[in-house]
Amino acid sequence: MFADTVPAFAPGDRVRVVDLGKPGHVRTPFYVREKTGAIEEYCGTFDNPEERGYGRVGLNPIPLYRVRFRQFDLWPDYDGSERDELVLEIYEHWLAAA
Amino acid sequence: MADRLVTDIGGTPAGAIPREEREPLFWERQLIATFNVLQQHGVLVIDEIRRTVEEMPKEAYDESTFYGRRVEAVADILIKKGVITAEELEERTREILESGTRDHVR
Repeated sequence: MFADTVPAFAPGDRVRVVDLGKPGHVRTPFYVREKTGAIEEYCGTFDNPEERGYGRVGLNPIPLYRVRFRQFDLWPDYDGSERDELVLEIYEHWLAAA
Repeated sequence: MADRLVTDIGGTPAGAIPREEREPLFWERQLIATFNVLQQHGVLVIDEIRRTVEEMPKEAYDESTFYGRRVEAVADILIKKGVITAEELEERTREILESGTRDHVR
């Protein structure tokens, strides 16, 4: 039904997490906003939890990605390996090309 | 900028993480089962529970527990949707308190 959704990003693309400043139920944690990472995987489309949180189900599904971040980019005082990474699931409307 | 949600504490100062294992209590497992049935019947979805928990005042949130916050959220949603009434919940709660709770039962 919504098979015509074309993902804006592909694996390897550099992306920045935008701070939408959106009140209410969101799934993008504060600590990752304005940070830059790379698309790990396109997960497909899903109902927007920001709508589902208020009981609005069955709206247009939106693209979701796994995004890979360097721990050093997330935490300035990170004391682990330089190669440590974190993969987070983030919806497309929180991402901008970087 | 929107305020940080009460649940969104990643990177903020915190104490040590408690690591002890604890078997879930009977009522906690019953809550998950009840939620699964409600979701299967289209009465509510997990995101509504998360949103309701996030709307708790910080003091109430901190004083409660993982399951405590969720049982309150489910009750709140069911009342707002008219599935049960606040009076029914109060009446049933009183009955249980009078007959002896099974809160401690595993």
